[in-house]
Amino acid sequence: MRRLALFLVVAALVALAATPALAGKLDDIKARGTLIAGVKDSQPPFGFVDEQSKQIVGFEIDICKALADKLGVKLETKPVTSSTRIPMLTQGAIDLVAATMTHKKDREDQIDFSITYFMTGQKLLVKKDGGIKSVKDLAGKKVGSVKGSTSEQNVKKAQPECTVISFETYPEAFLALKQGKVEAVTTDESILVGLQNSDAKPDDFAIVGEYISPEPYGLGLAENDSDFRDFVNVALMDMWTSGEFQKIYTKWFGKDTKFYIPLEWEMELWP
Amino acid sequence: MHWDVISNNFSYFLIGAYPQGPLGGLAMSILLALGGIFGAFWLGLLIGLMRISKSRFCRIFALVYTEIIRGTPLLMVIFWFYFLAPIAFGHTLPEAESALIALIVFTSAYIAEIVRAGIESLPKGQSEAARGTGLSRLQAMRYVILPQALFNMIPSFVNQFVSLTKDTSLAFIIGVNELTKAATQVNNRTLNAPTEIFITIAVLYFIICYVLTALSRRLEKRINRYQARDR
Repeated sequence: MRRLALFLVVAALVALAATPALAGKLDDIKARGTLIAGVKDSQPPFGFVDEQSKQIVGFEIDICKALADKLGVKLETKPVTSSTRIPMLTQGAIDLVAATMTHKKDREDQIDFSITYFMTGQKLLVKKDGGIKSVKDLAGKKVGSVKGSTSEQNVKKAQPECTVISFETYPEAFLALKQGKVEAVTTDESILVGLQNSDAKPDDFAIVGEYISPEPYGLGLAENDSDFRDFVNVALMDMWTSGEFQKIYTKWFGKDTKFYIPLEWEMELWP
Repeated sequence: MHWDVISNNFSYFLIGAYPQGPLGGLAMSILLALGGIFGAFWLGLLIGLMRISKSRFCRIFALVYTEIIRGTPLLMVIFWFYFLAPIAFGHTLPEAESALIALIVFTSAYIAEIVRAGIESLPKGQSEAARGTGLSRLQAMRYVILPQALFNMIPSFVNQFVSLTKDTSLAFIIGVNELTKAATQVNNRTLNAPTEIFITIAVLYFIICYVLTALSRRLEKRINRYQARDR
């Protein structure tokens, strides 16, 4: 028993000693020569594996590439999931998170955020001739969404009189819409656009309504490193004013893409 | 049906982005399974022997180890290792290594119980006779008890190893690029062929598990013949 207690004490001491030391991220990155970005690998067009090259590509990867170029270092991408992205950032395994992360107040306790680099929100995907124009028309109707998503709760709040039917995945919810089991599918606009265009006849469907809830995406940065945060924010603003940002945006969300979303918001620019 | 999605991405399901990028897909699943089987066997054997050891400390340690691990879902163990590793080692472990350690630790607890049961099921006379010929406890275990007991354990081992092979799919929650993760990536990109993709994945898992059980059947047959000849 004494030996067990000794073991536990030693383990606790090792844990304390191993707490990562706080050094400036900016210096770390330059010394290392690489910017390590945590990105999604199954969320087109933000971050996904390209069928031909089999590399991770996407809107967020290009944003990170531009940041790396500004620092004069190489970009290294590391796939993260929604549950690993914040722990990996706080542990220092990655320098920043560019993984469709909504800037939420309660996340501010653990990490810092850059300014918004993508603005989306929850909307409705409906059949074109279905007669639904906004959340108001959903009273007494069935709406499809995905289990455990925030979209599920938000639509119920916006229209208490609708019935939410939850599916495992978005393609399933979309199939239910096609078969008439639900009258609308609701989630982030960027996902709805992808669903719509995965169909053989995308013109039979439409994305309607105001944003049920806004979802501003921010780059996740380690807490309390203002030098690095300043760099990222200023770099993003420079990209916006120089037109580089719009070029990347059009590449992934422009008219000729499967994910056409007009650029209807403006980046926050500091004078 | 969109079976062209499968043919276009089949090499990605099998080996991931290799050789232009990291290894993934089925190859990663098989590596995790093989590494897991190898590690879990030796660690499980050690813990199982500690369970029946003379030292009280060893016995209690092995008991607590098996009880804690068996009472935790594998998903938790995988998560736990992934987030605890940086605290324990001072730096983050790559996802695949972290998942492999979790699989080894988790499965070893079950292997330990199989080992204990296998040894205890042998008649006591075996170890008494071995000791009577002047072998030490360790020698008796190594040359008399284990060769017989391990043979009896093969069906239970195979059960556990097949289950471990399928459990590698859980590694996808921490972002290990194995077969299930590769399927999700392709499914989220194409969006129009979930049924086809997941049928393919199920067939691939079935094939590797079937190969494993078929191999073990052949192994059992061979040892059987060998034992019969000796008798």
